[in-house]
Amino acid sequence: MERKTLEQKTLEEKTLELKTLELTKQYGRKKAVDCMSITLTEGVYGLLGANGAGKTTLMRLLCALQRPTGGRILLDGQSIGKLGEEYRDLLGYLPQRFGYYPDFRAIDFLLYMAALKGLEGKAAERKSWELLEEVGLSCEAKHRIKSFSGGMKQRLGIAQAMLNDPRILILDEPTTGLDPKERVRFRNLISAFSKGRIVILSTHIVSDVEFIAEKILVMKSGRIIHWGRPGEITSEIQGQVWECAVSTEQADRYVAGLNVSNLRNERDGHTVLRVVAAEKPMEDARIVEPNLEDLYLYYFQEQAAGKDDKWKGEDKR
Amino acid sequence: MRKLIGFELHKLFARRLTQAAFLAVALVSALFTFYTYQNKYASYKGRQASGGEAVALDKEIAAKYEGVLTDEKVRQMMDELAPKSGPQGLNAIYLYQNAMQSAVSARFSDMYGNWNGLRVEDVFGEEEIRIGYVDGWIGASRDMEKSFVFLSFVILIMLAPVYSGEYGGVDNLILASRYGRTKCASAKALAGILAAVLVTAVMAALNVGAAFLLYGSQGLDCSILFAQLTLTEGYIPFNITCGALVGYQVLLSFAGAVGTAAVALVLSAVCRNPMAAMVASAAVCLAPALLPVPETGPLFRLLVLLPIYQMQFSSLMSVELLKAGVPYGMLALPVSAGLLAVGYGASGNIFARHEVM
Repeated sequence: MERKTLEQKTLEEKTLELKTLELTKQYGRKKAVDCMSITLTEGVYGLLGANGAGKTTLMRLLCALQRPTGGRILLDGQSIGKLGEEYRDLLGYLPQRFGYYPDFRAIDFLLYMAALKGLEGKAAERKSWELLEEVGLSCEAKHRIKSFSGGMKQRLGIAQAMLNDPRILILDEPTTGLDPKERVRFRNLISAFSKGRIVILSTHIVSDVEFIAEKILVMKSGRIIHWGRPGEITSEIQGQVWECAVSTEQADRYVAGLNVSNLRNERDGHTVLRVVAAEKPMEDARIVEPNLEDLYLYYFQEQAAGKDDKWKGEDKR
Repeated sequence: MRKLIGFELHKLFARRLTQAAFLAVALVSALFTFYTYQNKYASYKGRQASGGEAVALDKEIAAKYEGVLTDEKVRQMMDELAPKSGPQGLNAIYLYQNAMQSAVSARFSDMYGNWNGLRVEDVFGEEEIRIGYVDGWIGASRDMEKSFVFLSFVILIMLAPVYSGEYGGVDNLILASRYGRTKCASAKALAGILAAVLVTAVMAALNVGAAFLLYGSQGLDCSILFAQLTLTEGYIPFNITCGALVGYQVLLSFAGAVGTAAVALVLSAVCRNPMAAMVASAAVCLAPALLPVPETGPLFRLLVLLPIYQMQFSSLMSVELLKAGVPYGMLALPVSAGLLAVGYGASGNIFARHEVM
């Protein structure tokens, strides 16, 4: 049922179709991905979910880095396991946490990754330099990676993911460690790159998804619980986002008791709260247009408030 | 593929720990050689010498008798070299004045320094024993033996991270790439084996080169059986030349290096971190040498074919001669080839099939 609806929402044009059929990945008794059936066609997908929702596991499954406990992943109708090299040739992947070789220079690292991706000679060099330029690392190309900051390593990771001009680009928390300017640069890069490709990115930074993603998938407990275009997806909570002014002294009490997505102190001693609630939270509250952060809070209020202990310690998933 | 092997070799040799371990073993090896050379001693007709001068004096003495060992030569050496009575009544067999004197006294002297009545055929049978200055090369071979045992640790240190080092996060990138599970997994194994062969070649070249510099080519065509007592006691009991000795040793050290590399690669693919891989492979490689197995038992004949004994070499070469005079030790070559095949196939396969966590 879920799959069918999602299929209806995907683009009509299906030149590249990545499909999961009842995909399941289980670690002991915990299902990180639970019987998931989705169809992804060309476009940028933003995967939203709290820690432990199963985003990273799903991405690893899509990259064939883990074997499903159940179900299948098909690319244009063929199992990705059977496609093997042919599938990986289409793939670019930036993991949430990736290792690197501290003594390699940035350019060596890219040339090594290029060799792994089947790029040869001059083409590999040209592409590596081009991407270093794109991610703003051309001046540091000959510096050893161990001298890089977290953001620089992340940019290098983004560059390696794009080396083979992948038709399927999977980015797990790509903007981690990037400063605002770098994030804008990254968003532009992905937007320019995404035409004719499947790009899946997961992030906690909702604004990144809002700007880049054409479609948003909300994942919780190993399942896609909601999906749609950024403009449409928030309609789910239309009429459930409120703004109200309270005295600054009372603000803490409201924050503890309500699902507050934003809090702004005014000069006149009042605090304006943005509240996600099904019912009017207080007398003078007024309805406002919902955004993705509100939606995120709506679905993940337990985790956001730290009320649900079962999510703790599952960051690795 | 060549490019990938090049990158893997770069990764292996760029590691500080590998460089330090290799340098340390090269230094220890140089110290062994220097110590052996400096401790050479010879006295002859009132002349006493040590170090390089002792080598020159021993060569001078050996030159007078070199060729096939005959009863006439034995009597001549006994007359000219053997001490008639040892100082403080020491057994003349164990007295050392120079290499040739010790060799002849050990086999043809009684405790008073007189001929013991044995003829060449009584001691060596029908074998033709070519004599000359062999102490230099036998000493070099014994030093090399220790160096190669240490070298096997360098190989373990060097290869422990080949796969296990990637499990820290780079495996994400490698296994999602086109050739990560195929050519890269193979390139890693090939580079590991190649690196083991390269360091062995360098170590062998250093040792053999140093022996040539210090002792020259004299004695390479002479039998290892007619050498001073301390070098032959408990040593390889077969009539092979020094040249053959060094040849077998270098051959077996390459075989041992390849076998050690195979074990290290498999355990590197199995273990999740380089330290665990190194400890596990050291335990597996060393275990055969630490087991309390009698050297006369059948189990020893199997254990001695394993890589650590190939590096240690003299135990393996002492077992027996097979048909056509081929040493039993040569059976270690197919054993290493088997280990190589299993190590190459299994390590790449384990890496390629592992799930990223």
